[in-house]
Amino acid sequence: MSTPVATAEPAARTALQNDLLCVADTKLVLGNWFAECVMNGKSLPDFAAMLGMCTASYGQTRAIYHWLDTLDHSYGHLEHGRGRAEIRSMDLLDPAPENWQDFIVSTWLAEQATWSMASGFLRNPDRTVAGIARKIGEEAYFHLKYAAGWFRIIEASDEEGELLRASVTRRFPLALRWFGPLDAADDLHAAGLRDDPLPDIRAGFVGEVRSALKPFGVDATGVEATFEADWRPDARRTGPLPERLFEVIRFKDQEIAR
Amino acid sequence: MSETLRRKTFDPGRERGGAVPKYYEVFARKNSDDSLSHVGSVEAPNDDLAQVRAWYIYDQHHWTEMCVVPTEAIIPVRLGKHSTRIKMA
Repeated sequence: MSTPVATAEPAARTALQNDLLCVADTKLVLGNWFAECVMNGKSLPDFAAMLGMCTASYGQTRAIYHWLDTLDHSYGHLEHGRGRAEIRSMDLLDPAPENWQDFIVSTWLAEQATWSMASGFLRNPDRTVAGIARKIGEEAYFHLKYAAGWFRIIEASDEEGELLRASVTRRFPLALRWFGPLDAADDLHAAGLRDDPLPDIRAGFVGEVRSALKPFGVDATGVEATFEADWRPDARRTGPLPERLFEVIRFKDQEIAR
Repeated sequence: MSETLRRKTFDPGRERGGAVPKYYEVFARKNSDDSLSHVGSVEAPNDDLAQVRAWYIYDQHHWTEMCVVPTEAIIPVRLGKHSTRIKMA
């Protein structure tokens, strides 16, 4: 059965798959962040929450891979066959967390950015895409609340607040970079495959970040992303995934992974 | 231990919300015909983390509704010489 996406113009069809693969791969790396950092959780209930967010992130990744498999990709290749230059995760998650505050800020920014991007597909003509976007939103509610809970604890300490501000300074421009240059055309919105223009979605993301960081005295106004020569618009990232990170996130054994 | 390694420390005031653990009771129902039932309790330093931890720990069903209540907000009601007791996790 053909879907609205399957019959879309080739450029728009490819652009939609690109953006969803960027969301899926970012969730793959984000899930691995939770898995790798779970033993840094602060208590047994915290371990459970981090593992829950890990599996939810993997679930979103796999749901998108399955949808891509119905179009121009192969599920097996997406999950097991790609090298580090083919992974399309957010630059923000390339550097490992430096401390607990940096972990909370980084995962929160990644979650907020991917949910903002996914929210642009809530009314997508392809019902599967709209359903995946809705599911990402439902799960983002808890993931963002987890960060909000930790923000309240961090806010109570001057020293921890300083570490949070340092993390925001490093990571927020990388989160903005994920949305691409401000003057880039949004072909997906023009083709009717994204509900709102990407600049509006980016502005919504910035608004959420500013609001959440207000108690910390962080003024995110005027922060802009920079783009290196090896910025890849179709991957929404710069260059290949770092080697060490790729070793963490890649499936080591196809048979065991089943 | 190498001097460059940092020992993992636990700060109860920061991570539990106080020197004494803070507990929340968790109530949930599977559908609108069910009554809201007590399913367990969680320790958390604030309401936000209590909600997230409850959601991921008590995920044995696809709940349609879940609520958390600070244990300290529950007022025991005595009946004769017996008192209600909340079982801690």
